[in-house]
Amino acid sequence: MLTRIPGRIGAGLYRSLTLAALTCVLPLVAVAVGWGGALFAGTWSPGPGAPLIGRIAVGVGQTVAVLLWLAGALWMTHALTSRPLAQAARRRASRWLGLDLAVDYRGPSPVTRMATGFWWDGVEYHKSEREARRRARMNARFHDPQVKWDGLWAVVAGVTVFPVTALPLAGLVAGLGSVLYGRTVIGILILLAALAVAPLAWLIFQPVAERFLGPNAGTRLGRRVRELETIQADLTETQAAELERIERGLHDGAQARLVAMGMSMQAAERMVDADPEAAKVILADARASSKAALEELRSLVRGINPPVLVERGLVDAVRALALDVPVEVEVHAAVPARPERPLESAIYFAVAELLANVAKHAHASHVTVDLEYGEETLVARVTDDGVGGISPASPGSGLAGIRRRVAAFGGRLEIRSPEGGPTRATVSVPCVL
Amino acid sequence: MRVVIAEDLFLLRDGLVRLLQAYGHEVVAAVDSGPAALEALLGERPDVAILDVRLPPTFSDEGLQAALAARREIPGLPVLILSQHVEQLYARELLADEHGGVGYQLKERVIDADDFMDSLTRVANGGTALDPAVVAKLLGRPRRADPLDALTERERQVLALMAEGISNTAIAARLFLSEGAISKYTTTIFAKLNLHPDDDTNRRVRAVLTYLGAVTSHDDA
Repeated sequence: MLTRIPGRIGAGLYRSLTLAALTCVLPLVAVAVGWGGALFAGTWSPGPGAPLIGRIAVGVGQTVAVLLWLAGALWMTHALTSRPLAQAARRRASRWLGLDLAVDYRGPSPVTRMATGFWWDGVEYHKSEREARRRARMNARFHDPQVKWDGLWAVVAGVTVFPVTALPLAGLVAGLGSVLYGRTVIGILILLAALAVAPLAWLIFQPVAERFLGPNAGTRLGRRVRELETIQADLTETQAAELERIERGLHDGAQARLVAMGMSMQAAERMVDADPEAAKVILADARASSKAALEELRSLVRGINPPVLVERGLVDAVRALALDVPVEVEVHAAVPARPERPLESAIYFAVAELLANVAKHAHASHVTVDLEYGEETLVARVTDDGVGGISPASPGSGLAGIRRRVAAFGGRLEIRSPEGGPTRATVSVPCVL
Repeated sequence: MRVVIAEDLFLLRDGLVRLLQAYGHEVVAAVDSGPAALEALLGERPDVAILDVRLPPTFSDEGLQAALAARREIPGLPVLILSQHVEQLYARELLADEHGGVGYQLKERVIDADDFMDSLTRVANGGTALDPAVVAKLLGRPRRADPLDALTERERQVLALMAEGISNTAIAARLFLSEGAISKYTTTIFAKLNLHPDDDTNRRVRAVLTYLGAVTSHDDA
């Protein structure tokens, strides 16, 4: 522990310094422009003998002028520096805190020539291509919503992260200065305080970064739209595949058998007078066919919509499922009502898939299934004491299928499966019961 | 026998009625919904009732619920449940009250009319008639502290057939053994499952219940 302290102080100092450097631009510009502007504006003196109203007018004018300069300077600084500084801060955030803050910048929009001869830059028309390209670049620099959001980060970080992370540095400078000027004791105390603060100062980065360094609302929406589009495409595909499977099952199975049965019956009908024995054999065959057709239909129905689920709902269907698994399964259910049918079916098939996985791969001796509802979320948890070591990407485990199925309802599948077990798979879907 | 039928599909209901009449039974009521079934069961008190699991108005498990409700009113009222699919869960619920007189079969078993009538008679006499498909599922199911661990492979086979509800004679025929051998097996099975002979319970049913795990413990005082 003691040996790690110097290392931590070093790392803290380095991180604090880096963050201070990344967030100092706007505050420094603001102080320089504000102070210089105030000095310059102070030279417009109305003279001591001027009437009070004139002095007030001049004071107001000075203040307004300084504020305008300040705003202009900060706006230009932001346009030139916010994006690279925010990106640098994001890289540090992912390296030090493991935060994933990927953002999307639009970049210059493509320039197209219209039939009218004018050039369109995505916002307005221009006479020449060169002008349109210049404007597109300007738009990308000044009007990208993400860059504006980065500017907000620069402002907020300038008044929060910068002063805090600058503390240890300021302390070191002040302490060294005191020592050089002969105030040794106080100097050393200040130095020690600065070193003590060093490992802690940079920690202010995390909350501010989480709040202001991520993608802006528009980007988040855009991503959600892409996600939903993927889900929709997936759904359409799985639905088509399902229908195809059902069609094939009916066409090659039950339907074919019924045709064969009809033919056998007809043959039996013809033979019944001439050769009753042979007719009996054929009829017995036809009966066997009808049994087989029923078997096929039954398994097909089970795959579409399990009868127990229709008759009893999720909890009892899961109980019935647990009885059919060749492992000891305990079911604990606390679900106040039946969820919507499509949702119910998705969760049922997810649990069925998870239990099938346990039976196939886990070598478990005991499995627990928990169905719970709370905070407007329905949770199904399958825990087994098997060998563990499943990764969500395991091929052939059907986990991707489960994830897709529940994602359609805004749900999630989480798997924790250390080597040697126990494995816990949790399906959670938001819903209102 | 006096029989009540509850089945919502007209074709099947009609077929069942004809079949029963052909075998000389009397159909006292043929209904097509859950509430009507319960009313008929309690009103007619038939010798045996045949119910479809899924009935109107809700098309959930109304037939099963009607049967369970009627048996709560009239303990041991013989019911034979028919379904397009068999579930252990339903079998357990039917057997849980330990009165016997319960059947649970796939609908297509009706096609083998003789077998079906056998099952019906067994149920009417207070025995059990479980579909082999249910029994097969039960066979593949391990349990903790399994009372069946004490049984040999052969005894298990005998018990599985007992669960289907068939008589010693028929079991003997299926396993190619003498009837005497089977009754020896049943005696050892009863002993191993700790089922002492007493007057008011059918030991075969109790053995089957143990088999199903529906009975966890009972005192033999």
